[in-house]
Amino acid sequence: MNANLNPSEQRSLAAIQECSFVVNAGMLWREGTEAKFLDSIQDGSLPKEAFDRWLVQDYLFAKGLTTFQAIAAARAPRSTQKVLIAGLGAMDAELEWFERLASERSLDLDVPHHQTCQRYVDYLIAAAYTQPSEVLVAILFGVEVAYLSGWSALEASGPYAEFVTRWSTEHFLAYVHQLHDACVLHPHQRQQDQFNEVLRHERDFWIMTYEG
Amino acid sequence: MLHQDLWDQNAKLVANCVDHPFVRGLGDGTLSKDAFRSYVAQDAFFLNAFAKAYALAIAKSETMEQARTLHGFIDGVLDELGLHAGYAKTLDIDLRSVAPFPETLAYTEFLQSRAWHGALGEILAAMAPCMTLYHHVGTLLLPNVHLNHPYKDWIESYSSPEFGQLCQSLEQMLDEVSTDTPAVRYAYQYAMQCEFDFFTAPIERS
Repeated sequence: MNANLNPSEQRSLAAIQECSFVVNAGMLWREGTEAKFLDSIQDGSLPKEAFDRWLVQDYLFAKGLTTFQAIAAARAPRSTQKVLIAGLGAMDAELEWFERLASERSLDLDVPHHQTCQRYVDYLIAAAYTQPSEVLVAILFGVEVAYLSGWSALEASGPYAEFVTRWSTEHFLAYVHQLHDACVLHPHQRQQDQFNEVLRHERDFWIMTYEG
Repeated sequence: MLHQDLWDQNAKLVANCVDHPFVRGLGDGTLSKDAFRSYVAQDAFFLNAFAKAYALAIAKSETMEQARTLHGFIDGVLDELGLHAGYAKTLDIDLRSVAPFPETLAYTEFLQSRAWHGALGEILAAMAPCMTLYHHVGTLLLPNVHLNHPYKDWIESYSSPEFGQLCQSLEQMLDEVSTDTPAVRYAYQYAMQCEFDFFTAPIERS
């Protein structure tokens, strides 16, 4: 976190993208937050097949993330539980939203994970039980800040405006800042390594959504 | 029996593993030393996770008899690690600082995820391919072994009656504990795929 920024600037998207986790991730940050998939959302050229694959695999990922968040919330100290429980509560609406969308598009959500998605989810669940709780918050921060940044870079227009808007809100930004605050409040030497690991998985996930 | 059904359902994957260049190289002795060194280091990393998964399975066991059998499997893993320590000495590998390949992490995190989060039957299904495939491969390669075969120890270890007995015990427990559910089938199939990828990585990355 940049200590020279004033309080209002510190809650901005730019401020979170300049935090030490992002800066220390180096090239991995761009690799995990910029993707052909997102570019194609922006210019409207995304093949339907890629969008449908993303929707199904992101739903399966979100289910795994919900498991991770439940375990992380249970293991967290009381001071961190508020943000984690709020985040977990929001996942229910998120999953329902995916389910509605899949139903509208006649997509079957009861399918196997793509191997890339499986790896990401296994990483999260293994970490949830084996990493210290301070590191779990950094992992969740990594997942959410990458998602926020990826979608916020797009203009909310065209056929996918609903998606861009959904993950670029002030509410989501505030949540990401709260996760960052929790990381700073409870530091751990392994936080950066695992933040970087999340970005590697994000990179691979985006590639999978576009290329299959 | 469930263990046989799972094996049969994955016959194609098993055949792919048997026909894998890594396995063929082990059999005819042409596998490069670099690839083998790399494999030994990754396998030692993997076996650490494997032992922990058995430990978690013990925590979820329903009877003392199951716990005792699972304890025996941990001894088996420790014996395997002893074999690896021998290789490490001969091949000059530092097993304390192995950087896992992505394929290795995919496998160990899958196992950890199942071991912590899954039911006992699912854990056993995720662990069975590693044992049964290695015994199968070792047995198939055994006729190739001669006095100066570079991978004689590896082949003889995994084709041994002692290792075969461990496999049978695991299969027996799998039949007793697991039921034929999509989660069990998936765990077995995914682990078998991880085995194939595990053979590929040392060749591609060394």
